[in-house]
Amino acid sequence: MSKASLTEIAGVFLRAGNFTFGGGDPTMAVLQREMVNRRKWLSAEQYGLVYGLARVTPGTNVLAFYAGSAWLLRGVKAAALAVLSTCLPSAVVVVWLTYSLERWGSLAWVKAAGGAIMAAAVGMIAASAWLLIAPFFGKAGLAKTVVLAGGAAALAIAGVTPIPVLALAALAGFLWKGTAQA
Amino acid sequence: MNLLVLYLLLLKATLTTFSGMSSLPLVRADFVVRHKVLTDPQLSRAVAVSRMAPGPNGLYLVSVGYTVAGLPGATAATVALVTPAFLIIVFLKFLGRNAEHPVAQRVTQAVTLASGGLIATALLPLARSSIDGPFSVVVAGASLLVLTATSIDTVWVVLAAAAAGLARKGLP
Repeated sequence: MSKASLTEIAGVFLRAGNFTFGGGDPTMAVLQREMVNRRKWLSAEQYGLVYGLARVTPGTNVLAFYAGSAWLLRGVKAAALAVLSTCLPSAVVVVWLTYSLERWGSLAWVKAAGGAIMAAAVGMIAASAWLLIAPFFGKAGLAKTVVLAGGAAALAIAGVTPIPVLALAALAGFLWKGTAQA
Repeated sequence: MNLLVLYLLLLKATLTTFSGMSSLPLVRADFVVRHKVLTDPQLSRAVAVSRMAPGPNGLYLVSVGYTVAGLPGATAATVALVTPAFLIIVFLKFLGRNAEHPVAQRVTQAVTLASGGLIATALLPLARSSIDGPFSVVVAGASLLVLTATSIDTVWVVLAAAAAGLARKGLP
């Protein structure tokens, strides 16, 4: 493995994290190409290990992937640098967009565009729920998928707050053996 | 809202879920229902805004933080968003491949499935605040269809929705 400098690491993560749209998977694919295939900073096995661990790390998976892969390259400093260089510029864009919608939200044309964007957001959230659940129909089995996702929804509708629902799901996952590959 | 409370509530949401959008039901429960410092339309706007920017989907938390407490709130939210990521270093150091153990996989899988169910439930009040007629039903439905059936980038869906909204009202 060739040793990457902090500047090189920051450059690669800055580009991948802030110029790739579409969420975590496309960004991790770009980083795989950069770090494994092109620059040979990580082996395919190391990439696979970090990818797998990122999926079981709480929070946003792709951020855990950034921290883990950069940590393998140059320790904690690199991990912090990778996470910040991927998050901060995008966070500034998010703040600017939120400010703009608050500031000019009362203008008729902003209202028209904003109203349609809010409706689209409903579709986005529904898609997010579906895309989270759909892969498990094959991997976890229909019964497990329906019971866990449907049960969580039913408990939430009954007024149970999310933390106990998630704790119950974790317990069910621990006890309920079967196909387990996510 | 106190910045430490804001940080801790957002950290609770990110630490107990396994993907960017999974934290949404917890954020809604704490900020919209319990503390009433955020409205459903503001939460929907945060989701939409985060999809217009590059970076992870979890960035909607930054918009939530900014709406609740301005720039300091956005900063606290960014820190809450990135904090759990560093747990992977502990995993790499002490667990290594054991974290791929079937039990760990099963627990993650179960929590992810429950998160999907919770997001679907949280969607209902958000839909009530954003869907106000046939036009918004069509936009929401088309957005859902495109995002589940194609690999098109979300930013195009947002731009198309904005264009449709402008076209309907007549351009400025």
